[in-house]
Amino acid sequence: MKSISLYIDNGSWLCRMHPFTKLAYIAAAISVPLLAGRLWLFAVFIALSLAVLASGHLLKRVVPLVAFSFTILITIFLIHGLFNQQNRDILFSIGPLHFYREGLLYALHIGCNVLNMLLSFAILVLSTKPSELVEELEKRGFSRRMGYIIISVFQIVPQMMGTMNTITDAQRSRGMETEGSLATRAKAFLPLISPVVMSSLINTRERAVALEVRGFAAKQKKTYLADRTPRRGDKPITIVLLALIVLAVIWRIVQCL
Amino acid sequence: MPVIAVENLKYRYPHAEALALDGLNFTVEKGEFIGIVGENGAGKSTLSQALIGLVPQFYKGAYGGKVLIDGRPADTTPIAELCCKVGLVFQNPFNQLSGAKDNVYEEVAFGMQNLGVPREEMHRRVENALKMLDIWQFRDRNPFDLSGGQMQRVAIASILVMEPDIMVLDEPTSQLDPQGSEEVFRTVDKLARSGITILMIEQKIEKIAAYCDRILLLHQGHQIAYDTPQKIFSRPDLEELGVRAPAFTRICRALGATLPDGSYPVTVEEAADRLQRTDALPPPAAPVPSRPVLFEIQDLTFSYNPGTQVLHGINLCLDARPTAIIGQNGAGKTTLVKLLKGLLRAEGGSIRFRGEDIAGKTVAALAAQVGYVFQNPDDQIFRYNVLDEVMFGPLNIGMDEAQAKEKSRAALAMTGLADKETSNPYDLELYERKMVAIASVLAMDPDVLILDEPTIAQDVRGRQCIAGIVRTLSEQGKLVLAILHDMDFVAECFDRVIVMAQGQVAADGTPRQVFADAEALQAARLDPPHVTQLCTRLGYEGVFLTVEEFLTACGCKE
Ligand SMILES: Nc1ncnc2c1ncn2[C@@H]1O[C@H](COP(=O)(O)OP(=O)(O)OP(=O)(O)O)[C@@H](O)[C@H]1O
Ligand SMILES: [Mg+2]
Repeated sequence: MKSISLYIDNGSWLCRMHPFTKLAYIAAAISVPLLAGRLWLFAVFIALSLAVLASGHLLKRVVPLVAFSFTILITIFLIHGLFNQQNRDILFSIGPLHFYREGLLYALHIGCNVLNMLLSFAILVLSTKPSELVEELEKRGFSRRMGYIIISVFQIVPQMMGTMNTITDAQRSRGMETEGSLATRAKAFLPLISPVVMSSLINTRERAVALEVRGFAAKQKKTYLADRTPRRGDKPITIVLLALIVLAVIWRIVQCL
Repeated sequence: MPVIAVENLKYRYPHAEALALDGLNFTVEKGEFIGIVGENGAGKSTLSQALIGLVPQFYKGAYGGKVLIDGRPADTTPIAELCCKVGLVFQNPFNQLSGAKDNVYEEVAFGMQNLGVPREEMHRRVENALKMLDIWQFRDRNPFDLSGGQMQRVAIASILVMEPDIMVLDEPTSQLDPQGSEEVFRTVDKLARSGITILMIEQKIEKIAAYCDRILLLHQGHQIAYDTPQKIFSRPDLEELGVRAPAFTRICRALGATLPDGSYPVTVEEAADRLQRTDALPPPAAPVPSRPVLFEIQDLTFSYNPGTQVLHGINLCLDARPTAIIGQNGAGKTTLVKLLKGLLRAEGGSIRFRGEDIAGKTVAALAAQVGYVFQNPDDQIFRYNVLDEVMFGPLNIGMDEAQAKEKSRAALAMTGLADKETSNPYDLELYERKMVAIASVLAMDPDVLILDEPTIAQDVRGRQCIAGIVRTLSEQGKLVLAILHDMDFVAECFDRVIVMAQGQVAADGTPRQVFADAEALQAARLDPPHVTQLCTRLGYEGVFLTVEEFLTACGCKE
C-alpha cells in the first residue's frame, strides 16, 4: 500500500528535529515578515528555508512544489502588473503591454508570501511523519479521536485506491473487461464507485469494533512507543524563533504609536 | 469465584427472528483452557462477542440473562474497561487491524499504547510476540501487505501483547500452516498454565481435543454440553450436531478401543496406547488415468517489491487431476495462483494455458476458462444481493439472462445457499460469504477452478460440500486447484499434492508420496494427516491417508 504522505525518512538532522520546533519555525517565518512589513525579511526567511532544506537533503524534493507555485505566481504578476487598480507609474513596456510599478510591487508581496509559506511548510511536511506530529500533539492534550481521524485521512486515499484495485480484480476475474483502451477503462470506472463507497463504509464500522477491542477508548493515560525526547538543539532554536515573533510584535506596536 | 459466569444468556440480533444464543449457562475458572465447538451458525462468534460486551453494547439487539466477567456484568460495563480484562481475536484477521499504523511493529503495539503500558515494556512484549509468532522479520512491513496467514499472526500478536486476563480466540489458526497452528496452541496453553483463562473457538477438532480442559458444545444457539473432550467426543449424536469427532476417536470407536471410564480416546497418545499394530496395509496405488495438460509453467519468477523475490523459478505442469497446493504461510501459494489467473504479471519465465502464453491476454479474456475464488471473500464480493453477485460473472462472459440465472441457481444449490438468494452478502456470516464467492465462480462453469483456502471457517458440512464440488468438477474433466492448510482434507479429496516452501516447489506427487516425504513436509512446516500420524506411531508401514482407508484395511467400518 502506497502512502500519500510526502515524508521519507532520509536520516538527516531535519527528520530528527522535534515536530514542534518545525511548527515554531513556520509560525516565525510567516508572522515575522508580515508583522514587520518589510519585503527584505521575506527574502531572509526564504533564503533561510532553502538553506535548511538543503542541509536536510530535501532541496531536490521541493523543486516540483516550487515549480508548480511559480506557474501560479507568474499569472499573479501578469494580472497585477497589467491591471491592478492602483497602477499609475509605468515601469516598463513590452510592445503594447504596460507593466506598472504598483501592481508589480503588490504581486511581489503576494509572491514572497506564498513562496515563504510554501517553503516553511515544506520543511515540516517533507521531514515529519504525520503520525509523529499527531502523537506529539496528543501528548499535549490534543483530542485522540481527532488525532486518529487526521491519521486515517492520510490512509484513506491509499486505502480507497487499494479497495479500488481489489474490486477491479474481482470484476475482471469474472469477465468484465477493465484493461485496454481508454474507453474500456472509463466504462469500467462507473460500476466501481458504489462498491468502493459501500466497502469503505463497512470498513469504517469494522475498524470501530477493532478500535473498541484494542482499548482505544480506555481511560488510562496513553503511552507512546517512540521515544522523542527533544534533542539538544530543539529548545534553543524554539526560544530564538519565539523571541523573534515577540520582537516583531513589539516593533509593530512601537511603529503604530 | 469463577472468572466468567454466564447465566441463562439469551441474545437476538436486531432485525433477526431467531435467537442467536438461547439459554447458555456455564462458568469458567481462572487458568482454564476452554474449547468452543459447534457447526456454522451455532452462535460461537456471537458468544465470543458477548464476553467482551460488543454484544449487546455495539450490536444492540435483544439481550437477556447475565455474563459476569470477574463479577462485573459484560452488558453494562463499558467496553473500554472490559478490554483490559478480556482480549478478543477476531475470525477475520483483516478486521483486527487498527488502520492507524503503517508497520507491523507499531500495529502490534497500538493496544498497549491505549492501555498505558510503559515504553520499555512495550518494546519487550512486541519483540517477544513477533518472535513467538514467527513474524519478526516482517516488523517493518505494512500490515495490509502481508499474506493471509501472516496477517492472522499479527492479529493474534496484537491481542497477546495486551496481556489480558482472559483471551477469547475466534478460529485464530484457520489460515495458519499446520506447524504454525500447533505453535499457537502451545503458546496459548502455556498462557493458560500461567493463570490466563483461554476460550478458543476452533474447527481443528484434533487440536481442541488435545489441549482443552473442557469443551462447550453449541448447536443452534443452545448449549448442548459442557464437559471434558473425552465425554464430548464420545457422544453418539455428534454428527447430527454438525461436529465430527477427532480422527483418533473415530478409529477407536470403530475398533472398540475405550478408556477405563468407557469413553473413547481423543488424542493420538491415548489412541496409540489403546491400539495394537495389525498387519493391515494401505491399498496399492491405483493407476491414475492421464489427463490433458492445462497449464505449463516455466522458470516463473515474481516479486511484489524490487529486491525481495517471492517466487524463485517455478516449473510445473498442471493437468486436470484434482490438485492441492500446500505449504507454509508466505510461501507464495496465493501469489502463484494469482499469476495463473493473470491478476499478477510474471517477472520472468512464462505461463502457458492450453499451449498459449497468457502474458498477451487480459484477465477478462481468460475469465470464462479460469475461475479464481479469493482467499478473503470480502475481496471478491461487491454486489448487494446474492443472486446478483453470482450472476455477475455468467452475464459478463456472454450468457443470456435466463441461462445465467439457471447456472447461478445451480451453483447456489451446490454450495447450500439456495435459500439465501435475496440476502445481502454483507449481512451473511464469513462461512456463507466464502460459499457465495465459490458459487459466483462456479456459475461461470470454468474449465479450471482455483480455490484459495476454501475451508476457512467451514464446519464439517461445509467441508463435505466443498469436497463434493471438487469431486463433481473433476468427474467433468475440470481442473480443481486448491490451496489448503487442512491436511486431512487434502488426503481425502486430491490426487496430486504440490508442496511449496519459500517460493519454490519442495515436493510434488500423489498424497501418499508427499506425506511420506518427511523432509519436504518439515521444510514447508507441514504435518501429515492425523491418521498417518497415528499409524506412524503404531509402527505401520506405508502411509494411511484417511480414517476410512485405515478402517477398511483393518476390516471394519466406521
Ligand atoms: N501486496 C503485497 N505486497 C508486498 N508483499 C506481499 C504482498 N502480498 C504478499 N506479499 C508477500 O509475498 C510472500 C508470499 O505471499 P503469498 O500471499 O503468496 O503467501 P501464501 O503462500 O499464500 O501464504 P498464506 O498461507 O499465509 O496465505 C509473503 O512473504 C508476503 O508477505
Ligand atoms: Mg495465501
